[in-house]
Amino acid sequence: MSPLARTICRKLKEKPQQFSEIVDAHRDVAWRDLLRAWGEIRDKNILQRGDDGRYLILNARKKPARR
Amino acid sequence: MKKSFRDFLGKLEQAGELSRAKKPVDLRDVSALLSQCSRALIFENLKEYPGWQLAGALVSTRKRLALAMGCAENDVAVRFEQGLERLIEPVMVEDAPCQEVVLQGKDVDLTAIPYPLMHVLDGGPYLSATLVVSKDPEFGRNLGSYRLMYRTPTETGIDLVSPSDMRFYYQRQLDRGKPLEIAVAIGVHPFEMLAASYKAPIDMDEYAVAGGLHGAPIPLVKCKTVDLEVPADAELVLEGELLPIGWTADEGPFGEFSQISGDVKWNPIFRVKCITRRRNPIFYLLQMPWENDWLAAPVTEAAGLRALRNASVQPVAIRAPVGSCGYWTLIASIRKRPGEGKNALLALLSVAEVKLAIVTDEDINIHDPDDVDWALTFRVQADRDLIVVQAARGKHIDPSIKAWELGKGGLPTTAKLGIDATIPEGVPKKFYKRIEYYGRNRVKLEDYL
Repeated sequence: MSPLARTICRKLKEKPQQFSEIVDAHRDVAWRDLLRAWGEIRDKNILQRGDDGRYLILNARKKPARR
Repeated sequence: MKKSFRDFLGKLEQAGELSRAKKPVDLRDVSALLSQCSRALIFENLKEYPGWQLAGALVSTRKRLALAMGCAENDVAVRFEQGLERLIEPVMVEDAPCQEVVLQGKDVDLTAIPYPLMHVLDGGPYLSATLVVSKDPEFGRNLGSYRLMYRTPTETGIDLVSPSDMRFYYQRQLDRGKPLEIAVAIGVHPFEMLAASYKAPIDMDEYAVAGGLHGAPIPLVKCKTVDLEVPADAELVLEGELLPIGWTADEGPFGEFSQISGDVKWNPIFRVKCITRRRNPIFYLLQMPWENDWLAAPVTEAAGLRALRNASVQPVAIRAPVGSCGYWTLIASIRKRPGEGKNALLALLSVAEVKLAIVTDEDINIHDPDDVDWALTFRVQADRDLIVVQAARGKHIDPSIKAWELGKGGLPTTAKLGIDATIPEGVPKKFYKRIEYYGRNRVKLEDYL
Protein backbone atom coordinates (compact mmCIF):
# COMPACT_ATOMS: atom_id res chain seq x y z
CA MET A 1 0.00 0.00 0.00
CA SER A 2 1.07 3.59 -0.56
CA PRO A 3 2.19 5.64 2.46
CA LEU A 4 -1.03 7.66 2.27
CA ALA A 5 -3.19 4.52 2.32
CA ARG A 6 -1.19 3.19 5.28
CA THR A 7 -1.69 6.46 7.16
CA ILE A 8 -5.44 6.34 6.60
CA CYS A 9 -5.55 2.70 7.71
CA ARG A 10 -3.67 3.54 10.89
CA LYS A 11 -6.13 6.30 11.71
CA LEU A 12 -9.12 4.06 11.05
CA LYS A 13 -7.70 1.49 13.44
CA GLU A 14 -7.39 4.19 16.10
CA LYS A 15 -10.87 5.66 15.66
CA PRO A 16 -13.89 5.21 13.33
CA GLN A 17 -14.26 8.12 10.91
CA GLN A 18 -16.71 9.50 8.41
CA PHE A 19 -15.31 9.70 4.91
CA SER A 20 -15.48 13.50 5.15
CA GLU A 21 -13.37 13.40 8.31
CA ILE A 22 -10.70 11.50 6.39
CA VAL A 23 -10.93 14.15 3.67
CA ASP A 24 -10.69 16.94 6.26
CA ALA A 25 -7.50 15.41 7.64
CA HIS A 26 -5.91 15.37 4.20
CA ARG A 27 -6.88 18.68 2.62
CA ASP A 28 -3.24 19.17 1.65
CA VAL A 29 -3.28 15.98 -0.44
CA ALA A 30 -4.35 16.06 -4.07
CA TRP A 31 -7.92 14.80 -4.45
CA ARG A 32 -6.94 12.16 -6.97
CA ASP A 33 -4.19 10.84 -4.68
CA LEU A 34 -6.69 10.54 -1.87
CA LEU A 35 -9.12 8.65 -4.11
CA ARG A 36 -6.36 6.29 -5.24
CA ALA A 37 -5.35 5.61 -1.64
CA TRP A 38 -8.98 4.98 -0.73
CA GLY A 39 -9.19 2.55 -3.62
CA GLU A 40 -6.17 0.66 -2.31
CA ILE A 41 -7.83 0.29 1.08
CA ARG A 42 -11.11 -0.81 -0.50
CA ASP A 43 -9.25 -3.42 -2.51
CA LYS A 44 -7.90 -4.95 0.70
CA ASN A 45 -11.47 -5.58 1.86
CA ILE A 46 -10.65 -4.56 5.40
CA LEU A 47 -13.13 -1.73 5.91
CA GLN A 48 -16.07 -2.10 8.23
CA ARG A 49 -18.93 0.30 8.90
CA GLY A 50 -20.34 1.57 12.17
CA ASP A 51 -24.05 2.15 12.70
CA ASP A 52 -23.56 5.84 11.97
CA GLY A 53 -21.77 5.14 8.68
CA ARG A 54 -18.27 5.70 10.05
CA TYR A 55 -15.51 3.57 8.57
CA LEU A 56 -13.32 1.50 10.83
CA ILE A 57 -10.67 -1.19 10.66
CA LEU A 58 -10.66 -3.70 13.44
CA ASN A 59 -7.26 -4.83 14.65
CA ALA A 60 -6.60 -8.53 14.14
CA ARG A 61 -7.56 -10.30 17.35
CA LYS A 62 -4.53 -11.44 19.31
CA LYS A 63 -4.26 -15.13 20.08
CA PRO A 64 -4.87 -15.87 23.76
CA ALA A 65 -1.62 -16.54 25.60
CA ARG A 66 -0.87 -20.17 26.52
CA ARG A 67 -0.84 -21.01 30.16
CA MET B 1 -34.05 18.74 -33.66
CA LYS B 2 -33.14 17.09 -30.40
CA LYS B 3 -31.47 19.47 -27.89
CA SER B 4 -28.32 18.53 -26.00
CA PHE B 5 -27.07 19.17 -22.48
CA ARG B 6 -24.98 22.00 -23.91
CA ASP B 7 -28.00 23.50 -25.64
CA PHE B 8 -29.74 23.60 -22.27
CA LEU B 9 -26.76 25.32 -20.64
CA GLY B 10 -26.91 27.91 -23.41
CA LYS B 11 -30.62 28.42 -22.81
CA LEU B 12 -30.03 28.96 -19.09
CA GLU B 13 -27.30 31.47 -19.82
CA GLN B 14 -29.49 33.36 -22.29
CA ALA B 15 -32.21 33.60 -19.64
CA GLY B 16 -29.75 34.98 -17.07
CA GLU B 17 -30.09 31.82 -14.99
CA LEU B 18 -26.50 30.63 -15.17
CA SER B 19 -23.26 31.93 -13.63
CA ARG B 20 -19.70 31.01 -14.50
CA ALA B 21 -16.92 30.59 -11.93
CA LYS B 22 -13.57 31.15 -13.59
CA LYS B 23 -11.17 30.84 -10.64
CA PRO B 24 -9.55 27.47 -9.89
CA VAL B 25 -11.71 25.40 -7.57
CA ASP B 26 -11.02 22.24 -5.57
CA LEU B 27 -13.48 19.45 -6.29
CA ARG B 28 -14.05 19.05 -2.55
CA ASP B 29 -15.67 22.50 -2.47
CA VAL B 30 -17.97 22.52 -5.49
CA SER B 31 -21.09 21.21 -3.77
CA ALA B 32 -20.89 23.79 -0.98
CA LEU B 33 -20.36 26.53 -3.54
CA LEU B 34 -23.32 25.33 -5.60
CA SER B 35 -25.48 25.46 -2.49
CA GLN B 36 -24.67 29.17 -2.13
CA CYS B 37 -25.61 30.11 -5.67
CA SER B 38 -29.15 31.10 -6.59
CA ARG B 39 -28.42 30.39 -10.24
CA ALA B 40 -27.12 27.37 -12.07
CA LEU B 41 -23.33 27.36 -12.06
CA ILE B 42 -20.46 26.24 -14.26
CA PHE B 43 -16.97 25.86 -12.83
CA GLU B 44 -14.64 26.48 -15.74
CA ASN B 45 -11.39 25.73 -13.94
CA LEU B 46 -11.27 22.51 -11.89
CA LYS B 47 -8.02 21.89 -10.03
CA GLU B 48 -6.44 18.57 -11.08
CA TYR B 49 -8.87 18.18 -13.99
CA PRO B 50 -7.58 20.21 -16.94
CA GLY B 51 -9.94 20.19 -19.89
CA TRP B 52 -12.97 19.49 -17.72
CA GLN B 53 -15.72 21.83 -16.59
CA LEU B 54 -18.37 21.10 -13.99
CA ALA B 55 -22.00 22.25 -14.14
CA GLY B 56 -24.49 21.94 -11.32
CA ALA B 57 -27.78 23.06 -9.79
CA LEU B 58 -29.19 23.36 -13.30
CA VAL B 59 -32.84 22.69 -12.49
CA SER B 60 -32.97 23.63 -8.82
CA THR B 61 -36.05 25.79 -9.32
CA ARG B 62 -39.37 25.31 -11.05
CA LYS B 63 -38.48 28.25 -13.27
CA ARG B 64 -35.37 26.51 -14.62
CA LEU B 65 -37.25 23.25 -14.97
CA ALA B 66 -39.85 25.08 -17.05
CA LEU B 67 -37.03 26.58 -19.13
CA ALA B 68 -35.70 23.08 -19.78
CA MET B 69 -39.15 21.89 -20.77
CA GLY B 70 -40.04 24.95 -22.84
CA CYS B 71 -43.33 25.64 -21.07
CA ALA B 72 -44.92 27.74 -18.31
CA GLU B 73 -44.05 26.82 -14.72
CA ASN B 74 -47.50 25.43 -13.93
CA ASP B 75 -47.66 23.41 -17.14
CA VAL B 76 -44.76 21.02 -16.57
CA ALA B 77 -47.06 18.04 -15.91
CA VAL B 78 -49.07 18.64 -19.07
CA ARG B 79 -45.86 19.11 -21.01
CA PHE B 80 -44.51 15.83 -19.70
CA GLU B 81 -47.79 14.10 -20.56
CA GLN B 82 -47.45 15.32 -24.14
CA GLY B 83 -44.17 13.45 -24.34
CA LEU B 84 -45.84 10.29 -23.15
CA GLU B 85 -48.59 10.65 -25.73
CA ARG B 86 -46.33 10.92 -28.76
CA LEU B 87 -43.51 8.46 -28.27
CA ILE B 88 -40.69 8.87 -30.79
CA GLU B 89 -38.34 5.94 -31.25
CA PRO B 90 -34.60 6.67 -31.04
CA VAL B 91 -32.25 6.42 -34.01
CA MET B 92 -28.80 4.84 -34.15
CA VAL B 93 -25.76 6.86 -35.24
CA GLU B 94 -22.17 5.84 -35.91
CA ASP B 95 -20.19 8.87 -34.78
CA ALA B 96 -20.80 10.22 -31.32
CA PRO B 97 -19.31 13.11 -29.36
CA CYS B 98 -19.52 10.93 -26.25
CA GLN B 99 -16.94 8.59 -27.81
CA GLU B 100 -14.34 11.15 -28.85
CA VAL B 101 -12.10 9.62 -26.17
CA VAL B 102 -12.25 5.88 -25.41
CA LEU B 103 -10.46 4.44 -22.37
CA GLN B 104 -10.30 0.69 -21.78
CA GLY B 105 -8.24 -1.83 -19.85
CA LYS B 106 -5.55 -0.22 -17.72
CA ASP B 107 -6.68 3.23 -18.83
CA VAL B 108 -9.95 2.89 -16.95
CA ASP B 109 -9.53 5.18 -13.95
CA LEU B 110 -12.46 6.74 -12.13
CA THR B 111 -10.12 9.12 -10.32
CA ALA B 112 -9.55 10.75 -13.72
CA ILE B 113 -13.12 12.03 -13.81
CA PRO B 114 -14.16 14.80 -11.39
CA TYR B 115 -15.80 12.56 -8.80
CA PRO B 116 -17.04 15.01 -6.16
CA LEU B 117 -17.64 14.68 -2.42
CA MET B 118 -21.01 16.31 -1.88
CA HIS B 119 -22.20 16.00 1.73
CA VAL B 120 -20.66 15.70 5.19
CA LEU B 121 -22.11 12.28 5.98
CA ASP B 122 -21.72 10.70 2.53
CA GLY B 123 -19.95 7.36 2.49
CA GLY B 124 -17.68 8.64 -0.28
CA PRO B 125 -17.66 10.72 -3.45
CA TYR B 126 -20.80 10.30 -5.54
CA LEU B 127 -22.00 10.57 -9.11
CA SER B 128 -25.54 11.91 -8.87
CA ALA B 129 -26.61 12.91 -12.41
CA THR B 130 -26.65 9.46 -13.94
CA LEU B 131 -28.70 8.04 -16.77
CA VAL B 132 -28.30 4.29 -16.30
CA VAL B 133 -29.13 1.97 -19.19
CA SER B 134 -29.73 -1.76 -18.79
CA LYS B 135 -31.33 -4.49 -20.85
CA ASP B 136 -33.16 -7.76 -20.29
CA PRO B 137 -33.46 -10.32 -23.10
CA GLU B 138 -37.19 -10.70 -22.43
CA PHE B 139 -38.29 -7.25 -21.28
CA GLY B 140 -36.00 -4.99 -23.28
CA ARG B 141 -34.18 -1.78 -22.52
CA ASN B 142 -34.60 0.25 -19.36
CA LEU B 143 -33.47 3.69 -18.25
CA GLY B 144 -33.15 4.82 -14.65
CA SER B 145 -31.12 7.15 -12.48
CA TYR B 146 -29.03 5.63 -9.72
CA ARG B 147 -26.36 7.13 -7.50
CA LEU B 148 -22.84 5.70 -7.75
CA MET B 149 -20.45 5.79 -4.78
CA TYR B 150 -16.74 5.75 -5.52
CA ARG B 151 -14.99 2.61 -4.23
CA THR B 152 -11.86 2.10 -6.34
CA PRO B 153 -10.53 3.38 -9.69
CA THR B 154 -12.63 0.69 -11.41
CA GLU B 155 -15.54 0.08 -9.03
CA THR B 156 -18.48 1.95 -7.56
CA GLY B 157 -21.35 1.12 -5.28
CA ILE B 158 -24.84 1.57 -6.71
CA ASP B 159 -28.06 2.05 -4.80
CA LEU B 160 -30.35 -0.69 -6.05
CA VAL B 161 -32.42 -1.09 -2.91
CA SER B 162 -35.73 0.37 -4.11
CA PRO B 163 -38.06 -1.56 -6.42
CA SER B 164 -37.31 -0.76 -10.07
CA ASP B 165 -37.16 -2.46 -13.42
CA MET B 166 -33.36 -2.53 -13.25
CA ARG B 167 -33.47 -4.14 -9.83
CA PHE B 168 -35.75 -6.76 -11.40
CA TYR B 169 -33.32 -7.24 -14.31
CA TYR B 170 -30.42 -7.55 -11.89
CA GLN B 171 -32.29 -10.11 -9.80
CA ARG B 172 -32.96 -12.20 -12.91
CA GLN B 173 -29.28 -12.16 -13.83
CA LEU B 174 -28.30 -12.88 -10.24
CA ASP B 175 -30.55 -15.96 -10.27
CA ARG B 176 -28.53 -17.16 -13.28
CA GLY B 177 -25.25 -16.33 -11.53
CA LYS B 178 -24.44 -13.74 -14.19
CA PRO B 179 -23.59 -10.02 -14.10
CA LEU B 180 -25.92 -7.37 -15.51
CA GLU B 181 -24.35 -5.09 -18.10
CA ILE B 182 -25.07 -1.40 -17.61
CA ALA B 183 -23.97 1.88 -19.15
CA VAL B 184 -24.02 5.19 -17.30
CA ALA B 185 -24.37 8.42 -19.26
CA ILE B 186 -23.63 11.72 -17.53
CA GLY B 187 -24.36 15.15 -18.97
CA VAL B 188 -27.57 14.59 -20.89
CA HIS B 189 -30.51 16.92 -21.48
CA PRO B 190 -33.11 17.14 -18.65
CA PHE B 191 -35.66 15.44 -20.93
CA GLU B 192 -33.57 12.27 -20.82
CA MET B 193 -33.31 12.58 -17.03
CA LEU B 194 -37.08 13.06 -16.76
CA ALA B 195 -37.75 10.05 -18.97
CA ALA B 196 -35.41 7.97 -16.80
CA SER B 197 -37.30 9.07 -13.67
CA TYR B 198 -40.63 8.02 -15.16
CA LYS B 199 -41.86 4.65 -13.96
CA ALA B 200 -42.74 3.49 -17.45
CA PRO B 201 -44.44 0.16 -18.09
CA ILE B 202 -41.69 -2.42 -18.35
CA ASP B 203 -42.11 -2.80 -22.13
CA MET B 204 -41.94 0.96 -22.82
CA ASP B 205 -38.61 2.36 -24.02
CA GLU B 206 -37.86 5.49 -22.01
CA TYR B 207 -35.71 6.75 -24.90
CA ALA B 208 -38.98 6.99 -26.86
CA VAL B 209 -40.45 9.04 -24.00
CA ALA B 210 -37.45 11.38 -24.14
CA GLY B 211 -37.90 11.57 -27.91
CA GLY B 212 -41.54 12.52 -27.39
CA LEU B 213 -40.51 15.29 -25.02
CA HIS B 214 -37.95 16.62 -27.51
CA GLY B 215 -40.29 16.18 -30.46
CA ALA B 216 -37.37 14.45 -32.21
CA PRO B 217 -35.66 11.07 -31.97
CA ILE B 218 -32.78 10.59 -29.54
CA PRO B 219 -29.57 9.77 -31.46
CA LEU B 220 -28.03 6.73 -29.79
CA VAL B 221 -24.64 5.14 -30.21
CA LYS B 222 -23.66 1.57 -29.48
CA CYS B 223 -21.43 1.20 -26.44
CA LYS B 224 -17.87 -0.03 -26.99
CA THR B 225 -17.84 -2.98 -24.59
CA VAL B 226 -21.44 -3.76 -23.62
CA ASP B 227 -24.57 -4.50 -25.66
CA LEU B 228 -26.25 -1.22 -24.79
CA GLU B 229 -26.98 2.15 -26.39
CA VAL B 230 -26.37 5.60 -24.91
CA PRO B 231 -27.25 9.16 -26.01
CA ALA B 232 -24.62 10.14 -28.57
CA ASP B 233 -24.45 13.71 -27.24
CA ALA B 234 -23.69 12.72 -23.62
CA GLU B 235 -20.63 14.24 -21.99
CA LEU B 236 -19.33 11.07 -20.34
CA VAL B 237 -20.21 7.36 -20.37
CA LEU B 238 -19.17 4.53 -18.04
CA GLU B 239 -19.61 1.00 -19.37
CA GLY B 240 -19.46 -2.14 -17.27
CA GLU B 241 -21.44 -4.64 -15.24
CA LEU B 242 -23.16 -5.10 -11.91
CA LEU B 243 -21.37 -8.01 -10.28
CA PRO B 244 -23.53 -11.00 -9.34
CA ILE B 245 -22.93 -10.59 -5.62
CA GLY B 246 -26.41 -9.48 -4.58
CA TRP B 247 -26.98 -6.91 -1.88
CA THR B 248 -23.72 -7.49 -0.02
CA ALA B 249 -21.48 -4.41 -0.38
CA ASP B 250 -21.72 -1.38 1.91
CA GLU B 251 -23.00 1.73 0.14
CA GLY B 252 -24.05 5.11 1.49
CA PRO B 253 -24.98 7.11 3.37
CA PHE B 254 -25.81 9.74 0.77
CA GLY B 255 -27.58 13.09 1.06
CA GLU B 256 -30.85 11.85 -0.34
CA PHE B 257 -33.44 13.65 -2.41
CA SER B 258 -35.50 13.67 0.79
CA GLN B 259 -33.05 16.25 2.22
CA ILE B 260 -32.02 13.61 4.76
CA SER B 261 -28.67 11.89 5.06
CA GLY B 262 -29.55 8.27 4.50
CA ASP B 263 -28.18 5.13 6.06
CA VAL B 264 -25.54 2.61 5.12
CA LYS B 265 -27.18 0.19 2.72
CA TRP B 266 -26.14 -3.15 1.29
CA ASN B 267 -25.95 -3.10 -2.46
CA PRO B 268 -24.27 -4.58 -5.54
CA ILE B 269 -21.01 -3.32 -7.04
CA PHE B 270 -20.62 -1.75 -10.50
CA ARG B 271 -17.33 -2.71 -12.20
CA VAL B 272 -16.34 -0.25 -14.93
CA LYS B 273 -14.75 -1.74 -18.05
CA CYS B 274 -14.65 1.28 -20.31
CA ILE B 275 -14.94 5.06 -20.06
CA THR B 276 -15.86 7.14 -23.10
CA ARG B 277 -16.19 10.91 -23.16
CA ARG B 278 -15.97 14.12 -25.10
CA ARG B 279 -12.53 15.69 -25.53
CA ASN B 280 -13.48 18.64 -23.31
CA PRO B 281 -16.32 17.28 -21.23
CA ILE B 282 -18.68 19.14 -18.93
CA PHE B 283 -19.32 17.03 -15.86
CA TYR B 284 -22.84 17.32 -14.43
CA LEU B 285 -23.29 17.40 -10.66
CA LEU B 286 -26.96 17.06 -9.78
CA GLN B 287 -27.24 19.05 -6.57
CA MET B 288 -29.36 17.37 -3.91
CA PRO B 289 -32.06 17.66 -2.89
CA TRP B 290 -34.03 20.25 -4.84
CA GLU B 291 -32.55 19.70 -8.28
CA ASN B 292 -33.48 16.05 -8.02
CA ASP B 293 -36.91 16.96 -6.68
CA TRP B 294 -37.77 19.36 -9.46
CA LEU B 295 -36.88 16.63 -11.92
CA ALA B 296 -39.21 14.27 -10.05
CA ALA B 297 -42.17 16.66 -9.81
CA PRO B 298 -43.42 16.63 -13.42
CA VAL B 299 -43.15 12.85 -13.54
CA THR B 300 -45.23 12.46 -10.37
CA GLU B 301 -47.68 15.11 -11.53
CA ALA B 302 -48.13 13.52 -14.96
CA ALA B 303 -48.71 10.13 -13.34
CA GLY B 304 -51.36 11.79 -11.16
CA LEU B 305 -53.10 13.34 -14.16
CA ARG B 306 -53.17 9.95 -15.88
CA ALA B 307 -54.51 8.22 -12.79
CA LEU B 308 -57.30 10.80 -12.49
CA ARG B 309 -58.31 10.47 -16.13
CA ASN B 310 -58.25 6.68 -15.89
CA ALA B 311 -60.65 7.06 -12.97
CA SER B 312 -62.92 9.24 -15.17
CA VAL B 313 -62.25 12.28 -13.01
CA GLN B 314 -61.61 15.58 -14.76
CA PRO B 315 -58.43 17.24 -13.43
CA VAL B 316 -57.95 21.02 -13.61
CA ALA B 317 -54.48 21.37 -12.07
CA ILE B 318 -52.00 19.23 -10.18
CA ARG B 319 -48.92 19.87 -8.07
CA ALA B 320 -46.28 17.72 -6.40
CA PRO B 321 -44.86 20.18 -3.84
CA VAL B 322 -41.11 20.41 -3.63
CA GLY B 323 -41.41 20.08 0.17
CA SER B 324 -42.58 16.53 -0.48
CA CYS B 325 -39.58 16.18 -2.79
CA GLY B 326 -41.89 16.25 -5.79
CA TYR B 327 -42.66 12.68 -4.93
CA TRP B 328 -44.68 11.90 -1.81
CA THR B 329 -47.56 14.42 -2.03
CA LEU B 330 -50.01 15.25 -4.79
CA ILE B 331 -52.47 18.12 -4.64
CA ALA B 332 -55.05 18.25 -7.41
CA SER B 333 -58.05 20.41 -8.24
CA ILE B 334 -60.87 18.75 -10.13
CA ARG B 335 -64.12 19.56 -11.86
CA LYS B 336 -66.15 17.53 -9.45
CA ARG B 337 -69.31 15.50 -9.70
CA PRO B 338 -70.81 13.94 -6.54
CA GLY B 339 -68.49 11.42 -4.96
CA GLU B 340 -65.53 12.21 -7.17
CA GLY B 341 -63.51 13.79 -4.38
CA LYS B 342 -63.06 10.29 -3.00
CA ASN B 343 -62.57 8.68 -6.43
CA ALA B 344 -59.84 11.21 -7.13
CA LEU B 345 -58.10 10.40 -3.86
CA LEU B 346 -58.13 6.68 -4.61
CA ALA B 347 -56.62 7.39 -8.02
CA LEU B 348 -53.89 9.72 -6.71
CA LEU B 349 -52.93 7.36 -3.90
CA SER B 350 -52.28 4.65 -6.48
CA VAL B 351 -49.38 6.68 -7.92
CA ALA B 352 -45.96 5.27 -7.01
CA GLU B 353 -45.16 6.00 -3.37
CA VAL B 354 -47.44 9.04 -3.00
CA LYS B 355 -48.46 8.95 0.68
CA LEU B 356 -50.50 12.16 0.92
CA ALA B 357 -53.12 13.26 -1.60
CA ILE B 358 -55.30 16.34 -1.33
CA VAL B 359 -58.16 17.01 -3.71
CA THR B 360 -59.88 20.39 -4.05
CA ASP B 361 -62.50 21.93 -6.28
CA GLU B 362 -61.50 23.88 -9.36
CA ASP B 363 -61.96 27.27 -7.65
CA ILE B 364 -58.90 26.60 -5.46
CA ASN B 365 -55.53 27.74 -6.76
CA ILE B 366 -53.48 24.70 -5.77
CA HIS B 367 -50.24 26.51 -6.59
CA ASP B 368 -51.00 28.88 -3.69
CA PRO B 369 -50.42 27.03 -0.37
CA ASP B 370 -52.66 29.55 1.46
CA ASP B 371 -55.56 28.73 -0.82
CA VAL B 372 -55.07 25.00 -0.21
CA ASP B 373 -54.98 25.63 3.55
CA TRP B 374 -58.23 27.56 3.21
CA ALA B 375 -59.89 24.61 1.48
CA LEU B 376 -58.54 22.21 4.11
CA THR B 377 -59.91 24.44 6.85
CA PHE B 378 -63.41 25.00 5.57
CA ARG B 379 -64.23 22.01 3.37
CA VAL B 380 -62.92 19.11 5.42
CA GLN B 381 -64.53 17.18 8.24
CA ALA B 382 -62.05 14.65 9.56
CA ASP B 383 -64.64 11.96 10.28
CA ARG B 384 -65.83 11.76 6.68
CA ASP B 385 -63.20 13.25 4.37
CA LEU B 386 -60.08 11.25 5.19
CA ILE B 387 -59.03 7.99 3.57
CA VAL B 388 -56.25 5.89 5.12
CA VAL B 389 -54.69 3.01 3.19
CA GLN B 390 -52.48 0.64 5.14
CA ALA B 391 -49.41 -1.33 4.06
CA ALA B 392 -48.98 0.04 0.54
CA ARG B 393 -45.60 0.03 -1.22
CA GLY B 394 -43.15 2.38 0.47
CA LYS B 395 -39.68 3.76 0.01
CA HIS B 396 -36.69 3.11 2.24
CA ILE B 397 -35.58 6.69 2.70
CA ASP B 398 -38.74 7.71 4.55
CA PRO B 399 -37.60 7.31 8.20
CA SER B 400 -41.20 7.03 9.44
CA ILE B 401 -41.50 3.53 7.94
CA LYS B 402 -38.53 2.19 9.95
CA ALA B 403 -36.83 0.53 6.99
CA TRP B 404 -33.81 -0.29 9.16
CA GLU B 405 -35.89 -3.05 10.75
CA LEU B 406 -35.98 -4.88 7.41
CA GLY B 407 -33.41 -7.47 6.44
CA LYS B 408 -30.92 -6.98 3.59
CA GLY B 409 -32.84 -6.44 0.34
CA GLY B 410 -36.17 -6.19 2.20
CA LEU B 411 -38.89 -3.90 0.85
CA PRO B 412 -40.84 -1.53 3.09
CA THR B 413 -44.54 -0.62 3.17
CA THR B 414 -46.21 2.64 4.04
CA ALA B 415 -49.60 4.01 5.08
CA LYS B 416 -51.26 6.55 2.76
CA LEU B 417 -53.58 9.43 3.58
CA GLY B 418 -56.10 11.09 1.30
CA ILE B 419 -57.91 14.32 2.20
CA ASP B 420 -61.03 15.29 0.30
CA ALA B 421 -61.03 19.09 0.48
CA THR B 422 -63.81 19.56 -2.03
CA ILE B 423 -67.09 21.18 -1.05
CA PRO B 424 -69.00 18.43 0.75
CA GLU B 425 -72.07 17.00 -0.93
CA GLY B 426 -75.16 18.67 0.42
CA VAL B 427 -73.41 21.95 1.31
CA PRO B 428 -74.60 24.70 -1.07
CA LYS B 429 -71.79 26.54 -2.88
CA LYS B 430 -73.23 29.86 -1.70
CA PHE B 431 -71.63 29.21 1.70
CA TYR B 432 -68.23 29.50 0.03
CA LYS B 433 -68.83 32.79 -1.73
CA ARG B 434 -65.63 34.75 -1.20
CA ILE B 435 -65.59 38.42 -0.26
CA GLU B 436 -65.18 40.90 -3.07
CA TYR B 437 -63.90 44.43 -2.54
CA TYR B 438 -66.43 47.09 -3.33
CA GLY B 439 -65.47 49.14 -6.38
CA ARG B 440 -62.60 46.84 -7.42
CA ASN B 441 -63.36 47.28 -11.11
CA ARG B 442 -63.77 51.05 -10.80
CA VAL B 443 -60.56 52.23 -9.12
CA LYS B 444 -56.88 51.60 -9.79
CA LEU B 445 -54.18 51.91 -7.14
CA GLU B 446 -51.61 53.39 -9.51
CA ASP B 447 -53.86 56.43 -9.91
CA TYR B 448 -53.34 57.14 -6.21
CA LEU B 449 -49.60 56.51 -5.78
